[in-house]
Amino acid sequence: MSAGAQENFPTGGAGVASPRVAHGPLGRILGGGGDDGGRRRPFGGIKNVFFLLLLTGISILALYPFVWLISASLKPQGDVFDNRLIPQEWQWNYTGDPTPVPGDEKLFALPDTPVLSWMFNSVWIGLLAALLVAMSSAVVAFAFAYFRFPGRNALFALILATMMLPGAVTMIPVYLIWNEISLLTGETGRLAFLPDIGVNTQYPLWVPNLFGSAFYIFLMRQFFLGIPRDLFEAARIDGDGYFSMFRRIALPLAKPALIVVFIFELQAKWFDLMTPLIYLRDSALYTLPLGLKTILDAQGAGGGGEGRWEIIMAGTVVTVLPMVILFAIFQRYFIEGIATQGRKG
Amino acid sequence: MASVASTETAGPLQGARRRLSGFRERETWTAYLFILPWVIGFLALTAGPMVASLYFSFTDYGVQQIAGFEETSRVGLENYRTLLEDPKIATSLKNTFVYTLMTVPAKMMVALGLAMILARIAFAAGFFRTVFYLPDITPPVAIGIMILVLFNGSFGVVNRALELVGIPGPYWTTDPSWIKPSLAIMSVWTVGGTMVIYLAALKAVPQHLYEAASMDGAGPWRRFFNVTLPMISPALFFTFIVLTIAGLQTFTEVYTAYFGQGSTGAESPDAALMNVVYLFRQAFEFFNMGFASAMAWLLFAIIMAITAIQFVVSRRFVFYQGGDKR
Amino acid sequence: MLSRWRRTGLVLAVAALCAVVGTSVASAKPSQGAAVQSHTLNIYGLGGRDDVAQGRLDVANAVIRGLGHSVNNPVGGFNDQAFLARLAARDIPDLVHMGRGSIGTYAARGVLAPLEGCFRAEGINKNEYRKAALAEVTYKGKVYGAPEFTNQITIIVNNDAAQKAGVNVADIQTTNWKRLKQANKKLLNIDSSGRLTRIGFDPKIPEFFPLWVKWFGKDMISKDGLKAQLNSREAVAALAYTVGLINDHGGWNKFKAFRDTWDFFGRNNQVAADQVGAWPMESFYYNVLAEGNRVNITAKYFTNRKGGPITMISGNAWAIPKGSKNPGLACKYIKALQADSSWLKVAKERFDLRKRQGRAFTGLYTAKTTADVKIYEDIYQPMGNRDFDDAVSLLVRAPRYAFAIPLSPASSEFRQAWIDAINRVLEGRQTPRQALDQAQREAQAAIDKAK
Repeated sequence: MSAGAQENFPTGGAGVASPRVAHGPLGRILGGGGDDGGRRRPFGGIKNVFFLLLLTGISILALYPFVWLISASLKPQGDVFDNRLIPQEWQWNYTGDPTPVPGDEKLFALPDTPVLSWMFNSVWIGLLAALLVAMSSAVVAFAFAYFRFPGRNALFALILATMMLPGAVTMIPVYLIWNEISLLTGETGRLAFLPDIGVNTQYPLWVPNLFGSAFYIFLMRQFFLGIPRDLFEAARIDGDGYFSMFRRIALPLAKPALIVVFIFELQAKWFDLMTPLIYLRDSALYTLPLGLKTILDAQGAGGGGEGRWEIIMAGTVVTVLPMVILFAIFQRYFIEGIATQGRKG
Repeated sequence: MASVASTETAGPLQGARRRLSGFRERETWTAYLFILPWVIGFLALTAGPMVASLYFSFTDYGVQQIAGFEETSRVGLENYRTLLEDPKIATSLKNTFVYTLMTVPAKMMVALGLAMILARIAFAAGFFRTVFYLPDITPPVAIGIMILVLFNGSFGVVNRALELVGIPGPYWTTDPSWIKPSLAIMSVWTVGGTMVIYLAALKAVPQHLYEAASMDGAGPWRRFFNVTLPMISPALFFTFIVLTIAGLQTFTEVYTAYFGQGSTGAESPDAALMNVVYLFRQAFEFFNMGFASAMAWLLFAIIMAITAIQFVVSRRFVFYQGGDKR
Repeated sequence: MLSRWRRTGLVLAVAALCAVVGTSVASAKPSQGAAVQSHTLNIYGLGGRDDVAQGRLDVANAVIRGLGHSVNNPVGGFNDQAFLARLAARDIPDLVHMGRGSIGTYAARGVLAPLEGCFRAEGINKNEYRKAALAEVTYKGKVYGAPEFTNQITIIVNNDAAQKAGVNVADIQTTNWKRLKQANKKLLNIDSSGRLTRIGFDPKIPEFFPLWVKWFGKDMISKDGLKAQLNSREAVAALAYTVGLINDHGGWNKFKAFRDTWDFFGRNNQVAADQVGAWPMESFYYNVLAEGNRVNITAKYFTNRKGGPITMISGNAWAIPKGSKNPGLACKYIKALQADSSWLKVAKERFDLRKRQGRAFTGLYTAKTTADVKIYEDIYQPMGNRDFDDAVSLLVRAPRYAFAIPLSPASSEFRQAWIDAINRVLEGRQTPRQALDQAQREAQAAIDKAK
């Protein structure tokens, strides 16, 4: 009895064998057989207003810490934690030391903080990692969704199993593996033709994404399971190879799912602190959260710093804002991309 | 597809022959090729460490051993025996289960509710979608402050609001009976990711199904149970599994709020001690790595069992539109 | 719209570009130097780089460079996971900087090297350090850290609150517990709707619990660190008393909920806002008070039952890990960082800086008796605010009266045991005796296991 039995359920709905099956890709992918892009009739009149009010109320809750954060980043040092949403006194903390003592400006210039480098690192590592994991996870997931082969269920169970062991206990062994790789590569290693890969470099931050990730493989497998096999059969009959079938049919249909994976991973990488903390030594290589942490260490009250919370808050906003903007742009695309796709043909 | 159909109509012998010849099929080898990336990564970066941590769970692995100043010596089942004896293990597991039981259904229901409303709002939908996703990307420092401010038992907004409707609010952040609910609420607050997945699933349910149901006289609840739920069941299934696994391993939020540098470090309420938090403490504060590894594998076994149960139970409820075998 | 092929190609090209550009920028390494004998001193764990730190770093860096070597000292606080990872990879830093509590744990696990040899070689007189600071980093008779800073605890009294409550400041003291309890009751304020609006005397438990036990002259663990003494009669009494002080406010929940609303580091802090009567606090807080809105305070010692001052200190220290490749250089670095001359230099610079900024200089407390005294005598000048000047003179002498909890093979577990016990009592789940009995069992078991 294979997991394939799950796919065997007689579906009550239409849209499987119908010609309208080509529409609403994400819909089918997630189990529906969308034929109109899933556009529901919007609420009428009173209901609309009621729900809008409800949503607005919830939005306030969702927005509160953000507003607090932005407001804290615009306050002078003594007011940061004063629990007021609107600053009593405004101070711009984003570009350099806001309250330099004349003649002492250099003294409190934040030491060793190549913020632009950090931003650049976070951007390219995030983009690369997200792209790689989306592609690799899609490829692997497709195999589990489409092909029948021995060991399929066992392998899928193994993939899921990798999500079940807390990362804390594998952290050091993984680090040791990268350390071994460091010793083998670079100028002094036996594989000297390779550049220096391993600890103290940024490779450990994105190379694992070449191999897919259990979470996204699971996600994409669900999506692929929703694509009717007829589409693939049609292509196979036309003489298409497996990989080109994957590339020409499965991937385009899964585009919204790929974007979901891309956004989730980009966001996860952007805010990841642990991995850069352990692997990076040179501050020019740091990512934004790690850089922010060094500022926190240097300027927080306990660390012998001056307790310049307002600068820390400004740094936090700088870290968070790009993700907000990114999501605001992309979410429209993939949610409404379904409607667009649905209208086609 | 056609070949599978013929399997069902042909005799069992033919099916058996198909399975046995699996290794010679081109399909099989192509499948293995597709999976190759994951396998390489697994063998290179995951398998070794997993086996290593299993090995360490049978040793006295600690700081001296890590640094190479002392040999790692095997201690047999001692770590596992301690697992049974340490009352904090039982406490942490209990806390983790209760927390997961609270948070997973709550998150799924709230996410689904929000998604359903958002799917039908005619105005400013994009804005709300972004806003509800914001909590997922709010840094812990801001969340920690928010908890202390909003959920303050005496002066917080939440309790003041409750007062308005005559309910005396509890001391969310200090009363042990209310700590887990407050953690669960914080978790539900970050519902954006789940909501986004459900939103996509909902948008894909074909309109005509609803119309057909209405024509048959089904009211909104019937439509919900008989059309919406089945059609989005793959998404529900996915989030059910993933949220449970995440809930059982919950660490960051709890640690930041009650155990880490965000708090004064002197409050460590037993009620908030989650399994992975205790694991982290054993590994990186007490440096009992071997014991921590044993804890990890215990949790692994538990999660594996629960996930397997979830798969079996969900079999009856999940419909995949595209994968039918007719 | 680009054709599908072109789009795919574009995506792949972008990915490749990212990888190439990123890694080439990142891995551009300066060519290796040719000097054969030049070593690099690798330092790990110094996060804060304020003027007091940087000034001394400049001195120490100059010493090392003067010998023809170089220093690698990246900004970043000490982190256990990162340190463990480096140990595992045998990439051991030459010199580490961490909290003195952590030094105890690592020393007990054999990760650090004793410093006696280093002190002898560089002529560092270990008796110049505050006794209690040294005790914090001494394990089985050997010293494993060179301490910095003391953060000594004194009692800060809010004179305005005392006056409003009609309490004599002299009654806000810790020798006579009965009088303190009465003062607490008068100082605290609960408004008409039942909300706490001023805390009377905050005993600061669990954090400062050892002080309250020391009031009896009793320690929480034996001097050799092998026998926990958490459920002694005195410890139970201390816990019962301090919990009683908190319960007089209406219970822990109310107490903590109110305390969480304080603008702790801000201009409108709890003293300026009349939200507290008195409480024991570390020395750095006087800075916060001096820079906030105007306050009237009295600094007092925490006194034991006989009336003698006691205090606790905490702070950081420098240590040399076992396996350090440059222990000699590391030792020279420590000497330069902590020489009295270095401390005096940065103290003077800070004093001048504060003067230019128009802010108060509340002294520098270095964990070295000699440096503290010299700074106070030569550099410190009265601020013209009697409250703070008196406070400073108290702070300078306080570390003399400090005690330290002896290190044990399981210091982290030991500490966690009594912290958990106190939390259980505060939550109302156990009596002091039950909680401390349990803590005693847990702590002793951990120590026995780790021996």
